[in-house]
Amino acid sequence: MTERNERIVLRVDGLVKRYAGADRNVFDGISFEVPRGKVLVIVGPSGSGKSTLLRAVAGLEPIQGGTIALDGEVIETGRPGTERQGRAKRSSALRTKIGMVFQSYDLFPNHTVLGNVTLAPILVQKRDKAEVEAEALRLLERVGLADRADAKPHELSGGQRQRVAICRALIEHPQLLLLDEITAALDPEMVHEVLDVVLELADQGQTMLIVTHEMQFARAIADRIIMIEGGTIVEESDDPDAFFTHPHTERAREFLRTFEFTRHRHDHGA
Amino acid sequence: MLDWSIIARYAPFFVTGAWMTLFISVFGIALALLTGLLCAAIETAHVPVLRQLVRVYVEVSRNTPLLVQLYFLYFGLPKLGFVWSAEACAVIGLGFLGGSYMAEAMRAGLQAVPEAQRENAYMLGFTKAQTMTRVVVPQAISSAVPGVIANVIFLVKESSVVSAIALADVMYMTKDLIGMTYSTYEALFLLIVTYLVILLPISILGTWLERRFDHARR
Repeated sequence: MTERNERIVLRVDGLVKRYAGADRNVFDGISFEVPRGKVLVIVGPSGSGKSTLLRAVAGLEPIQGGTIALDGEVIETGRPGTERQGRAKRSSALRTKIGMVFQSYDLFPNHTVLGNVTLAPILVQKRDKAEVEAEALRLLERVGLADRADAKPHELSGGQRQRVAICRALIEHPQLLLLDEITAALDPEMVHEVLDVVLELADQGQTMLIVTHEMQFARAIADRIIMIEGGTIVEESDDPDAFFTHPHTERAREFLRTFEFTRHRHDHGA
Repeated sequence: MLDWSIIARYAPFFVTGAWMTLFISVFGIALALLTGLLCAAIETAHVPVLRQLVRVYVEVSRNTPLLVQLYFLYFGLPKLGFVWSAEACAVIGLGFLGGSYMAEAMRAGLQAVPEAQRENAYMLGFTKAQTMTRVVVPQAISSAVPGVIANVIFLVKESSVVSAIALADVMYMTKDLIGMTYSTYEALFLLIVTYLVILLPISILGTWLERRFDHARR
């Protein structure tokens, strides 16, 4: 058990999630795990709760059942009747272990690019300012933005802001990085520059839990892929290629077909 | 035409009056800012009971004329045994009126900060205090500045009402001058010029402040 726990960074067990006032659960006992250094990609149709799942792991949404464990330690235990509660009461130290990048590129507008990246490690982790700034510049260099360190967020493009947001999450050395549709609000030509950075992170062994609509990216980056719909996992696979080429379930086949474009020139039917 | 000799003779009275206007305004607006900050903090933090009291205060304050509030403080309260100087009544009255306007401007500023900003701060491990001081308040200020400046100008102008409780501000001087000399045009000319001399710098300062804090906005 202990040995197994060391391999597993995130374990979600029997997670139940219900919105306040809803008559049924968004999730009804979902379980999955993310081993260290691996990338788990969650796909599924809009409204299937992918983002909610990520937000529950992040502590941004209360859960009504099941457990969430980080590094073998249970950090969240769901309780019924907590639908209206706000963010989970997690310690600062625990929160720094899970990094997150959101869909909307929301850097702190009142800080420079460098300030955005260095604020948390200096303020929260109490690290040395010079050391933090040096690391921040190295990170910005890696994502091709070292020359924009003194710029304000509003001076950057959406793709650039998302790359800064990734640096801001990485500098705290999180055990787990959550990426919630980080390219969904970007212009198509900016998607690649952001996803390239994420692919590089995967190569370097960053443990990640990713929600995305970019299927080619999912196929390229996933070590394991799960599709959720209707509150449960409808298909999961350790072989992303197989998931995309030979899905087992009819539902997954249908879902994947929505990403294909074919013109049926002679088909005048439905 | 304006009689410049009258203007020259009575201009010093308006300087004296302007000091009274400034005195009442500065302390009244300071009180309004404090009241507003307190109310906005209570409302944003959803403090039970106090929050309802703030709503009652805001509605009473916004929906009664300053003149009525001043009459209540100056003529009404003494009947209940509270006797305050006209200056104190003017400052409290202006603070009472302005407090609700400032509270609404500041609350709007705080509410303008997207929830995503707090969520990012949470994920990065910020404490609640750090989230407020480093993320929320700086952005709230930049959103609230235009409204607060507008309220400052509004309150300086509104201070003209204190002449009704015998405080010798610029409005009082004007009425006095008209009563004594029937020089209506000259008196009103001096009145408008005095207000412009007081308010134009505030207006310019406000524009500068708006630009100064704009960096914190998207």
